Amino acid sequence: MRERAGRCCEAPGGGLDVLPSRLDPGPAPGRAGLAPAGTRAGDAAPTLEGDAVFAANRVRAHVALAVAAEGGVTRPRRLREEGALRVRFPNAAPRALEAVLVNTAGGVAGGDRFGFDLALGLDAAVTVTTAAAEKVYRSPGAAARMAVRLTLSAGARLAWLPQETIVFEAARFERTIDVNLSEGARLVLAEAVVFGRAAMGETVETGRLVDRWRVRRAGRLVFADTLRLEGAIARKLGEAAIARGGIAMATVVMAPGGEGDVEAMRAVSGRLAGEMGVSSWNGLCVARLVAAAGAALRADMAVLLSALGVPVPRLWVM
Amino acid sequence: MTRRPPDPPALYKLMAWLSPSYPVGAFSYSSGVEWAVEAGDICDAETLRRWLAAVIAEGSGFCDAVLFVHAYRAVESGGEAKLAGVAELAAALAPSRERHLETTAQGRAFLEATREAWPCAALDRLATAWDGPVAYPVAVAAASAGHGIGLDPALGAYLQALAANLVSAGVRLVPLGQTAGQKVLAALAPVVAATGARAQGTPLEEVGSATIRADIASMRHETQYTRLFRS
Repeated sequence: MRERAGRCCEAPGGGLDVLPSRLDPGPAPGRAGLAPAGTRAGDAAPTLEGDAVFAANRVRAHVALAVAAEGGVTRPRRLREEGALRVRFPNAAPRALEAVLVNTAGGVAGGDRFGFDLALGLDAAVTVTTAAAEKVYRSPGAAARMAVRLTLSAGARLAWLPQETIVFEAARFERTIDVNLSEGARLVLAEAVVFGRAAMGETVETGRLVDRWRVRRAGRLVFADTLRLEGAIARKLGEAAIARGGIAMATVVMAPGGEGDVEAMRAVSGRLAGEMGVSSWNGLCVARLVAAAGAALRADMAVLLSALGVPVPRLWVM
Repeated sequence: MTRRPPDPPALYKLMAWLSPSYPVGAFSYSSGVEWAVEAGDICDAETLRRWLAAVIAEGSGFCDAVLFVHAYRAVESGGEAKLAGVAELAAALAPSRERHLETTAQGRAFLEATREAWPCAALDRLATAWDGPVAYPVAVAAASAGHGIGLDPALGAYLQALAANLVSAGVRLVPLGQTAGQKVLAALAPVVAATGARAQGTPLEEVGSATIRADIASMRHETQYTRLFRS
């Protein structure tokens, strides 16, 4: 089962031998495109040689993880890691498996391709987060792409709670999150996007972000949402109907979700630093948040998740 | 957008279907404008114009336009599966309970009235292809394609009606004078034209919105104490 340039583990007995020590040492030296906002290291000249160098430096990373429950305990059952994505299982808590995604490339740059496939078996329960905020850097042309596929068997429970995605000046990023829920599966999905690091004086004037979510229940599309913000980002964020100058936004989806979840979130809205709206229809509950900066948004999300009884990953507050 | 103007029967139909008196109850929806006025985001003609320009170009207006274009083309090319795909996406794309109600209740009302008064095979095909709730732009697009009305005038009329309806909500809520409202609508004409043109070059999977605070407004409208509108 060993894949080219990949690694694969099968653990039919329930345990899985995947250790943090197997992490890659870090990004390859001299990788083009990993340039913080304001620098132009990624802007290779459009020559054939430049294109080849650019292509050779693109990340191709994919993780496929399957988890399964036995006797009320969820364990990883299969894990295949290719390229710069790794999964760690830091906590040994028996009833709440936590999976932490690690991007060893240190960020996302133009032309990169990331993929994450997660399958939850019958009644399995897992919380997924990331080891760090994902940083999306300036792209010289091609967009960076990330494709997430989450498949929940009957009775499975997934809390998808990555740390925020930080988008830098002139980044181009397209992400898809496709969720397939069997009957009786439960999903909490919370994702935040922050444009630049306000505390470091960074602003994002231009760029392109397309974040496409699709949630299917028993094969039927029940929720579709695409955040699409491109071109003059800073000017658009200034519009009252968009963010009124806020640079941090998030969406929380609960499926199934109902008026009880709506009431729980509205009850804590007075404790939020930013703005929040929440609604329930079609058996779903959806909340949207906007805040002036990433730290405020993260604090607000922690308040909301706590109100919903969803444990906040420890990495959020470390 | 350089096609010749619609022939008189097409214009006659579009003006009927998208008139405020067509029985879809358009006047009872504000897409969250009612909350935006309550919250002070919209307080005069200029703030109304800016709010609506963003909603049309970057929010529900653009999304409706892209859905309209693809529903129209699916009817024209006869792809039932494609039509069902557009209808399914359109029904799932609403960001809140009231925005979902706004698009599906108007879609249903439009289909009921149009199948009676202006029947065409395309509307029967839509009913066969998709048994779920029908979003408003999908319903109007199917009728337009089914009656052989050009995409350009049909989409232009749809977006004009959307803009006019939201301006009318703003006029009643702020409140503004009728002439001030018409000045806002006139100022939105280039936004409507550009949005229609952009939608015609946008793949279905690229449909998307940036108007997060307009979504939040529609969510908060649910608990607004005094309400004239259903959304």
